[in-house]
Amino acid sequence: MISLHSLTKRFGSQTAVDSLTLEIPAGQIVGLLGPNGAGKSTTLKMLTGMLAPSSGTATICGHDLLEDPIGVKRNVGFVPDSGAVFESLSGLEYLEMIAALYGIPATAARERIQQFIAFFDLSFETLTDKLLGAYSKGMRRKVVITAALLHNPPVVFFDEPLDGLDANAAVGFKALIQTLAREGKAIVYSSHILDVVERVCDRVIIIDQGKVRVDGAPAALVAEHGAHTLEQLFTSLTGGNDLERKAEDFAKTFRP
Amino acid sequence: MNDPAPSPAKTLQRLYLTLFLRGRSSRGLNRSEVPASIGRKLLGTLAIYVLVGMVAFTYTKAPSFVLSFYLHGMSLFFLGMFIAASAGEILFNKEEAEILLHRPVDSRTLLWSKVAVMVRISLWLALAFNIGGFIVGSFGPNGSLLFAPVHLLSTCMGALFCSGSVVLLYQICLRWFGRERLDNIMTTTQVILMVAMVVGSQLGQFVIPALGSIGSPAGKWWLFLLPPAWFAGLNEVLTGRAEISSYFHAGIGIGVTALVAFLAFKVMADTYEEGLQTLAETRPRKVRDRSRRGLIDKLMDLPPLSWLLRNPVTRASFRLSSAYLLRDRDMKLRLYPGLAPIMVMPLVFLIQGISGKGSEIGVAFSGGYLGLLPFMAMNLLQYSQNWQAADLYRLAPVPGPAPFIRGATWAVCTLLVMPTLLVLVIAVGFLSKKPEHAFLLLPGLIALPVYALIPGAIEKAVPLSKPTEEAKSAMRGAVIFILMISALALPGIGMAVRSQGFYWQFLLLEGIFAAAACLALNGVISRKTWDPIE
Repeated sequence: MISLHSLTKRFGSQTAVDSLTLEIPAGQIVGLLGPNGAGKSTTLKMLTGMLAPSSGTATICGHDLLEDPIGVKRNVGFVPDSGAVFESLSGLEYLEMIAALYGIPATAARERIQQFIAFFDLSFETLTDKLLGAYSKGMRRKVVITAALLHNPPVVFFDEPLDGLDANAAVGFKALIQTLAREGKAIVYSSHILDVVERVCDRVIIIDQGKVRVDGAPAALVAEHGAHTLEQLFTSLTGGNDLERKAEDFAKTFRP
Repeated sequence: MNDPAPSPAKTLQRLYLTLFLRGRSSRGLNRSEVPASIGRKLLGTLAIYVLVGMVAFTYTKAPSFVLSFYLHGMSLFFLGMFIAASAGEILFNKEEAEILLHRPVDSRTLLWSKVAVMVRISLWLALAFNIGGFIVGSFGPNGSLLFAPVHLLSTCMGALFCSGSVVLLYQICLRWFGRERLDNIMTTTQVILMVAMVVGSQLGQFVIPALGSIGSPAGKWWLFLLPPAWFAGLNEVLTGRAEISSYFHAGIGIGVTALVAFLAFKVMADTYEEGLQTLAETRPRKVRDRSRRGLIDKLMDLPPLSWLLRNPVTRASFRLSSAYLLRDRDMKLRLYPGLAPIMVMPLVFLIQGISGKGSEIGVAFSGGYLGLLPFMAMNLLQYSQNWQAADLYRLAPVPGPAPFIRGATWAVCTLLVMPTLLVLVIAVGFLSKKPEHAFLLLPGLIALPVYALIPGAIEKAVPLSKPTEEAKSAMRGAVIFILMISALALPGIGMAVRSQGFYWQFLLLEGIFAAAACLALNGVISRKTWDPIE
């Protein structure tokens, strides 16, 4: 469902994503992990048409990213980590606007939005009367997730989707994406919360300096590298050794 | 029951119109509260345009070409100012790229929707301004009933020309310059556009009387260079009163507008998305310009700043404000176009005064206008798209905003006021036949510290602490208008008492009042406490 062919992004002399080649089939939840600046967000931005690749390409649901970007965008939902919204629209205005961009008729859009409101336990009055600028971070995140899923895309990219969600909403959300994957959607889940990724994802890809370091099922990867947890594997692969000792040494500098 | 599929173009146009009327960010809690202030402001602006447009009645006896030239000249000035001021935020908005670039909308639809909204608002303003002109052109002694529809058509073309030119300029900048230089180039472009508009409007004051005295465009080759003449020529042709030259003017107007529109909205539209994509890039950028930062550090260590910034919080605020004044794109796009008229008008006054009879008045008014510079800059510096980050100030163990306000005030004075003052004094020295005219700047300069302290004392102008939407409040506009009048009144009074031989006594008195006002305002600022966080 998602195929990356030597996908590369360079910023001047720096290569942010280096010849990434991957296949992600329908029904799979793929955790995309990496330290800050590893190229995760850049990869997602390229796959959603927000950035032009320097070389290589990708196909999503049979649509080539370079030749048919609009076709790709129709089949993709994206929750960016920034959580950016138009703050001077109300939540309902924002969601109706997004639905219209995907060609969803007004009545159908309103019905669909009602379903999301019920799922996320949002109040319709808040969605109608408050402008997004006044929403809490969690409420805003729920609106952004709704905006990504309104058009029922077969492929969804999440970049730190749990950021700001309360515990109940997070549990509901994790159950939702697992169910969506079982129903055939391909989901790419980028996050720094490794235990969530370990529990939710069928497959984990760790990238560092724009290159794939490991790719496989979380349990298999952990066992293969002799680690106890995904977190331990991650830190050993991405240069995070000796972190506890460094923290202890640094904490000593706080002593009066 | 079968709803039609919505059109992305109409959806986007509705979105951009809403964003224009409400502003892009809002701290308002209720939907019903926020749009009203900006909507009312727009109505107020339209009413002012109608009133200003009534000046057209002074052209009742003027030849039809002169009336059309005046109307188009002023319309293009107002439209150009509006489009240049809003184009940066509307055309290349980084946050918007995060929201819309992954939606199935092609770049042409995106660009055209924005342009359609800009042209629509431009036309509202233009039509409001031209109401007086429609009446004079239709029913005046040289009027024609065809004037109103014809002038409406040529005004639409003028709006298209204006918005097309600005869009084209931005697109060219985007194509020619890399991401690193884009921000600076866009800001510089916008400032240059604003300055050109201000200077252009002043040139009009010379051109229109010259036309009026001769009454006909024939034989004036230089008119072919002026866009208002092109569209005035179109009016003449379509109302059936054209001379040969008017056909050429109209031809140039139609040709240039078509060319600009074709290049801006068709040829360049296909690459518009590339521009937005470059904005979405979070490439590692040079965090600091070492030479510039070095300059700020050196300045801070030099007396008197080293003494004025002896409080560490004031010093940090100076550094923060300086960084935003010099480096932040959003700040520069808001600040410099807003300040451009204030920075240019003193020079315009000076040049006008020196070229005409009123040399002394020109110098005095330019000093008065300069006094407004710190007031305007402090006003604009308090707004930021990242205003919530200013909550950090309250978390620091500082009882009130005074040191933050003082640091920002000194940054504005050091980086904006002093260089402008230097340019002005040099200009007086070079341009004025009597260099001692520089003393005429003094009434404005003595009042300058008072104006600089007013935003902090009255508005609690803590740098970067308020959402940008509040900058659009109608009340703020009224306060600025009153201060502009007073800034010009002070040099006027100075000139009057000078003619009576009491100039130095007047300056002494003004100095005493200014010192007392500064002390009082400083006290008010020192006693300010933090508002509760909303």
